Formats: sequence, C-alpha cells, structure tokens
Amino acid sequence: MAKSSIIGLVPLVVLVLIWQVAHQSGIYSTALFPSPAEVYAVFVDEFGDLARHAQASIGRVVMGVSVAFVLAVPAGLLIGRFPALDLLFDWSIQIFRSFPVIALIPLAILFFGIGERPAIVLITVAAFWPLLISTIFGVKSVDRTLLKVAKASGASERLVLTDILLPSALPAILTGLRLALGSGWLTVVAAEMMAVKSGLGYLIMYAQVIFRPDLIFSGILIIGGIGLLFDQIVRQARALLCRWQDGLVASS
Amino acid sequence: MSFLNIDHVSKTYGAGAQATLALDTVSIKADLGEFICLLGLSGCGKSTLLQIISGLEEPSTGQVLVGDEPIHGKTHPSASVVFQDHGLFPWMDVTANVAFNLKARGVGRAERTRKALDYIQMVGLSGFEKKYPHQLSGGMRQRVGIARALSTGPKLLLMDEPFGALDAQTRTTMQNELLRLWERLTATVVFVTHGIDEAVMLADRVVVMSPRPGRVRQIFDINLPRPRDPTSPEFMALVREMLVAIHDDMRLLNMP
Repeated sequence: MAKSSIIGLVPLVVLVLIWQVAHQSGIYSTALFPSPAEVYAVFVDEFGDLARHAQASIGRVVMGVSVAFVLAVPAGLLIGRFPALDLLFDWSIQIFRSFPVIALIPLAILFFGIGERPAIVLITVAAFWPLLISTIFGVKSVDRTLLKVAKASGASERLVLTDILLPSALPAILTGLRLALGSGWLTVVAAEMMAVKSGLGYLIMYAQVIFRPDLIFSGILIIGGIGLLFDQIVRQARALLCRWQDGLVASS
Repeated sequence: MSFLNIDHVSKTYGAGAQATLALDTVSIKADLGEFICLLGLSGCGKSTLLQIISGLEEPSTGQVLVGDEPIHGKTHPSASVVFQDHGLFPWMDVTANVAFNLKARGVGRAERTRKALDYIQMVGLSGFEKKYPHQLSGGMRQRVGIARALSTGPKLLLMDEPFGALDAQTRTTMQNELLRLWERLTATVVFVTHGIDEAVMLADRVVVMSPRPGRVRQIFDINLPRPRDPTSPEFMALVREMLVAIHDDMRLLNMP
C-alpha cells in the first residue's frame, strides 16, 4: 500500500517538472500561464479563502451523495430483488440516467433560485443513478445457491434483504459510491459556476473574471486532490467492510 | 405410515414441443430414521427429486408428504438441506453461518449462538468459530454446512451430493463422520450421489434411478452391518449389482 502510494506520485512529479519547463521556455505568455511556484504561493497566501470554498463544495457533495445513498440503496435492493419492479423501472432508469446533470442546471435555477438548494438537488440527482444501478447489479449477481439456502431455512423476506442481499451487494454498492462521489464532484463544480456564490466552482469562475490564472490553477488542483481523497476513503471503507472477499476475488 | 412419502411425482420442464420429462412417476417411501441414497448418472433427475422433496421446486404432478403433510413451495419445518457447493455465506464467520437457520426460525441471539457452538463442536470444528468460509478447506466448509443443517434438529436431512467436490480421502472421512452424526439423531436422510461406493457405504436403501426420463429402476436394501468394509466380497458384490442396474447395456462398460 505505502509502496504503491509512492509510485503513484511519480507521474505527478514529472508533470510538475514539465509544467515548470513549459513555463520557463516562454511558449505561452507567463501572465496567463503561472509557474508551479506562483500557484504554490497562492496555496500559502490565500489558504483561508481556498479552505472556505473547498469546505463549501465538500459539504454540498457529502450532503447530496448522502441523500442519494439513502434513496438509491433501498430502492436498488427492492428493484434487484423483485423482477416485476425491475421490468417496471428498467426503461425509466435507462432514460433518466442518460440526462447530463449539467443540462439540468438551468432548470434547477429556475425551480430553486440561486443558492444551496439547486446545487444539492443536482448532486443528489447525479449521484443517485450510479448508486441505484450498482445496487441493482449487486443484488442481481447474488449467488443463487445462497437464496436457496435462505428459502430452505424458512428465512423471511426481510432477513433475506438484510442478511443476504445487502452484504452480498455491498462491494457493488461501494463501487457505486465511488462513481457517485465522482459524478457528485463534477456536478458541484458545474453547479457552483452558475447557481451558487461560493465553493470551488464559483472561485474558479470568479478568478477568471478578476484575471487570476494562478487562482484558477490552484482551484483545479484542489478539486483533483479532494477527488483523490474521497476515492481513498471509499476504498478504505470497502477494504474494511468487505474483508470476507479476501481470497475470493483479485483485489482491485 | 411412512414418514416420507414420495407419491407418483413427475416433473416436466418447458411446454409443448420443447417439454422434457425430468421425472416420471417416482414413488418412494421411507421410515423415520432411514438412510436413503438416490443413485444415478447425471440426468436421472435425482437432484430434481431432492429439490422437490425440499420444497424448492414444485412437482408437475403427484405430491411429497412429510409426516403426512404435503410439501408445497416451502421447506418442511423439520427438514434441512445440505447443498452440493456447501452454500455458506462468505461474509459470515463459521458461527454466524451455523446459526443462520436458527435465526431464520426466530431463535434469539444468545440461544442460537449457544446452539451453534454445540454443533460446531459436534462436527469437529472447535477453534474455527471465528473463521470465514474462504479460510477453510473444502471438507471443513461442508462440515459447517452439515452443522447448519443439524442445528435445527431436523427429522429429515436432505443432502445433494454434499461430498461431490471433495477429494477421495476427505470424502471417506466425511462419510464416516456423517454416519456417526446420523446414529445420534432420529432423522431420515435422503442423500443424492453418483458414487456407487458412497451409496453402498452409507445407505440402508439405495434407490437406483435411470435417466431420460428420470425413473426408479431398482431399489436395493443394504443389510451389511456398519462400519462397512468397502473391500469385503459382500460390499463388492453389491457395487457390481448396482453397476449392472445403472447401465442398460453391459457391453458399454466392457464387462464380461
């Protein structure tokens, strides 16, 4: 784990070096294209501002994805369990999940105005579909023998859901959560560019208006860093919760 | 009155021109405490019959009675099933796996854990209570499956080729273990196998089935005392008789 983390830094270091070389070579106006050191200076000098905006964005993503999780996982368990529900909702799910959430931003602003609400609603919508689809997939791929075991034991439908389908689908649900955080994060930045007056998306748009490319760069880097952080958190949770999978599947 | 009564059971899959008859009017009776083996080649419907006895499948015609109660789409409360590929829950440790059937029957946590530990000890897995299925060998997994099935005190134990995936040595051990456990219970066992040796080693009665459609070809009473010696002339004579019964045409086997 530690070893692979260090190796993971190599391309990033190379990228920063290329960036530095490109900056020094003067192929592009240095007024528009800041050096790594200038961007680093922004982190140091404006840490408070950056942290405030990052916190606003993270709060919205956590809120939106949590709401999506609470709605999508039970719905996915039921749809995956009962073929009639699957048949009923399959087309609708395929249609709705194809909408790019960014296309819904203008509608969200019309409905909810400028502020927290449109942003969180949009993130919830964006995070809902990957969670729902992963949960359905997880439930459907349960080992059939285990359902027979349950039936032969006289287990109630509720026990089947809580003790068999949920743990069996958990790895897929956590994969869905990773995807949901990813699309939630994309959505929050887009939503903040239009619908809210705070957050990293807003900061980047604002930096363009006041002509601060160094600030744009630092905003983008923070977004990437937080994306990595979220992904690592879910991976760790998965490693912890799905230890029973050790030796069953190759680790991802 | 027999404890288990398989009464003119037929099973057809599909309909119309594609319909296949998997079981053709099978009737078998067994008393409480009897050990029955269903023996036959693949396609003889022995596993289908077991599924019907366990209530996991419905017969097309006929019925199965356990203690005079007809089985319909539900496992009889005094029946337990041991599955071919053990059917353990990979996310539960050994104790939770063994306790599952009790939990399904609404037994409280303390009581089911206590019982589970008893049965874990009975099948010789003390010390493995907290292990997960992937940490166990094939034979140990099936011991867990058997402990889970026995935990509810079944009067009817249905076993679908439970030792089919084990190596020969482990299989022999498990056969002896199963007989040891069965002798302590009062339970009818219906044990599906395609191994003639296994059937002769275990059963009071062997029901030889023939394939396409699945039918009862012949029923053998095994009166050899236990423990049975698979190298004894009586044992080998029975094995030979069953070989003849299983195969329509002796020449296919190149036997004189």
